[in-house]
Formats: sequence, structure tokens, C-alpha cells
Amino acid sequence: MTVMTPMADITLRVASVLIDELRLEDVTPETFAPDMDLVDEVGIDSMDLATVALVLQDHYGIRFDEDDYPKLTTVRKIAAYIAERLGA
Amino acid sequence: MIPGDAVTAAENTCGATAGGPRAWKFADILADPRIREKWEKVRRYFFLRESTYDLTRRCNIRCDGCYFYAGEKQHVRGNPDPEAWRRLMQAEKARGITYVVLAGAEPALVPDVCRACYAAMPLGTIATNGLEPIAADVGYRLHISVWGNDATSRAVRGAEAMLERQTENYRGDPRAVFVYTFTAGNIEESYAVADYLVARGCRLTFNVFSAPETYTGSLRHSMASLMATRRAMREITRRHPASVLFSGYNAVVHTHALGLHDLFACPYPRRNPSTSLGLGRSFRQYRADLTWDRGAACCVPDTDCADCRHYAAGSAIVTAKMFRHAVDPTLFSAWLDYVDTYLAVWVTDYVKSPDLVEDLVAPPGVAREGCN
Repeated sequence: MTVMTPMADITLRVASVLIDELRLEDVTPETFAPDMDLVDEVGIDSMDLATVALVLQDHYGIRFDEDDYPKLTTVRKIAAYIAERLGA
Repeated sequence: MIPGDAVTAAENTCGATAGGPRAWKFADILADPRIREKWEKVRRYFFLRESTYDLTRRCNIRCDGCYFYAGEKQHVRGNPDPEAWRRLMQAEKARGITYVVLAGAEPALVPDVCRACYAAMPLGTIATNGLEPIAADVGYRLHISVWGNDATSRAVRGAEAMLERQTENYRGDPRAVFVYTFTAGNIEESYAVADYLVARGCRLTFNVFSAPETYTGSLRHSMASLMATRRAMREITRRHPASVLFSGYNAVVHTHALGLHDLFACPYPRRNPSTSLGLGRSFRQYRADLTWDRGAACCVPDTDCADCRHYAAGSAIVTAKMFRHAVDPTLFSAWLDYVDTYLAVWVTDYVKSPDLVEDLVAPPGVAREGCN
């Protein structure tokens, strides 16, 4: 049985939320490239990111800061942001 | 004061959360089926990415307080070549723009340019004074600017019989939305003008005069005129619910003592240095010579930001601030009503739903005593 690190688990969760909320096709949380640029390569915009942030807030019980959105441009960066806020 | 016109804190207490009422999860807010339904309805339009374009420097009237004839943009050399505009639209599409607002000075005076833009980029709106008909094969939404009754228009815009000519051109036109701009001097007549438009099968929405930076005239609002404007907006909306595209939250945020920038931190490039996401990344305001200047880029350039309550600005500014409205069901519902209104005003064939919130709700982060 594979034991995932907290960071790996968060990364998968972020990818999963992105896929669900943006209705992305032909990609799974496992195949979602964590360093793919969400703005340039996936085409998400501020409204999409706000939606994803709200869903992740619910899940992790943390608070996203609206001013931090511009920094959250990849799955890995979002996961790291959550991990930092969780103290993981 | 008319019942329902006082801004109530409701359960959101102006968006306060710390140490206050329950902190809502987004999923719990969406558990209300009415909220969920409207959320799913509006979010389908999150793909809209706008930019704005001055099609020409020419206009057939001169209005007191016109933002186009303020600042530098009025002095550029206009490019009337439809092919140049078609290429620009294609380039805009390639960089992700999906929605265009064609304005300044009077787009109806360059019909071939309008047609070229429409052929390349079919989602958008033309802002026009409505005195010249725009060909039926240009399928954009049309916003017809109204600044009062005919006597007022004669005084402020120098044009005769404007309502008659505007409604002659656009009554029953499914593209048309009449935009009544409230100034400090045309509030009382708004009721009669609305009656006139509705009687001729016209839909309308509201704008609030937002003074250009150098403006020294008499149209600029005071607190008293903003409150009178809010009452008029509410009363006209009640009187003509099927014809007026507006919501209670529209009325609050566009007549607030604080302008849109101070309420919501305007995300247009002119006030937003970030280029990584959203309007700061994608929005451009092209002048009539097809150039643009990031430092001046917003939907109403040369407007005094502190006085900006413009409907076009709000459509982007308020809509972009979803995150800060998603703190409780009441505030989020008010935001949904606003976005639903914005889409009905700007997107052809989009039908506005009944509002979720009847009472007036304070914007997020505004202390209750400052709500109105």
C-alpha cells in the first residue's frame, strides 16, 4: 500500500477540485501536471480560481487571501499555499 | 424613505465574519436550491473576457460630461479601415478575448467597422446614442444612452427630440437596452421617461453619472442626489419589473457614498498593477487609432475613479469580486442578482431571473453605519 505524504495528498485534492469545478476532460488528478500553468495552459481566469479557492476553503477549513490569487498559478503552488496555511 | 430602501445588515451584517455571525461554507451557501440554480446559471458565462474599443473619434452630438471628450484619447487619429479592425478582432480573439464593448465616440457613424468587428467577434455590445440606426445584421447588444427627457437632453446633449428619435430607431429591437444615466439634475423626470420607454416596448437599465477627472459642471452627484437616485431606481424597477433590468444590489453599489473603486478595489489595469490574472492580465482599452495604454485602461477612461459608479465599470468590478461575496447566503444571493442583471444587460438572449434578495444588502466589508 502506498502511503502519500500530506503534500502529495493535497496536490491530488487540488487537481481533483480543478477538474470537477472547471469540467476538465481527458485528465485525472493523477495525470494533472502539477506545474502546468493554469492561466496560460489551462485557460482559467480569476472567477474560476475564486470558485476553486472557495471549494478548497471548505475542504481544508482555511482562508484564502484574495490578494494571493495572482501567485496561485499551478496546482503545486496552490497545494503549497494550503500546506503552509495548515502548517503541514 | 420607501420601505425596503433602507440598507439592511440582514444576517450578513455587511459581510462581517470575525467574532460575528456564523462563518458559512461555500457548499452550505449553495445548499439552498434557489441559490444553486442561479449560481449554475451565471457561472456558465465565466468564459467572458472583455475589452473595449473606441471605434471613432466622431460623434453627432456633444454631451456635457462626456468621458470620451476628456483626456488624450479624443486626439488620436482614427482608423476607419474595416479590414484593420477585422484583423484587430482576430488578434484579440487569439489572445483570449471573447467579448467586446464598442464605444466612443459614436459607433453608429462607422457602420462598416461595426460590421467588420461583428463578423470577427460576435459577442459584444455597442454603446450608442441611438440617433442613427445600426444595421440589423450587426447582432451585438445595443445600449442606447438616455440622459433625461427631451428638454434635459436638449440642454445637456444639444440634441432635439432624442427620446422620440431613439425609440423610433430601436423600439421592439431585441438587441436594444436603453440605459438611463442618472445625473444630479434628471432624477425626478426619470419616472416619466421610464414610463415613456416601457410604453413603447423598450427595456431599460440604469447608469450613474461618473464625472470625468477634469469635469467641473453641474451633473456630478452629491450624497443627496445619490439617495434620490437610489429611490428612483427602486421605484421604477417595482413599477416595471418586466422591462427594467436591475436589482436591489445594483442600486446599493451604484449609489453608495463610496465609489466602485473604494468599495471593491477596481481590477482594471488603470488601478491594478497585476498582470497575472483576470482583468489586469487581459483587459485593454483600444483607442480609435487601434493603440492602447495600460496606464489608462479601464472601461470608462479619464473618469474620476473616486466618483466612478458607472454601470459598465460595475459590471466587471462587482462581478469579479465573487470571493468576497461568498460569505453568507444573503450577500452571495445579492451578488448573484447583480451578475444575473449584468448578463441580461450585456448578453443577447440572456434572460434575467427574479431576484433572490428583496431587501437592500450592504456591500462586503462596509460597516453597517456606512452602508447607506
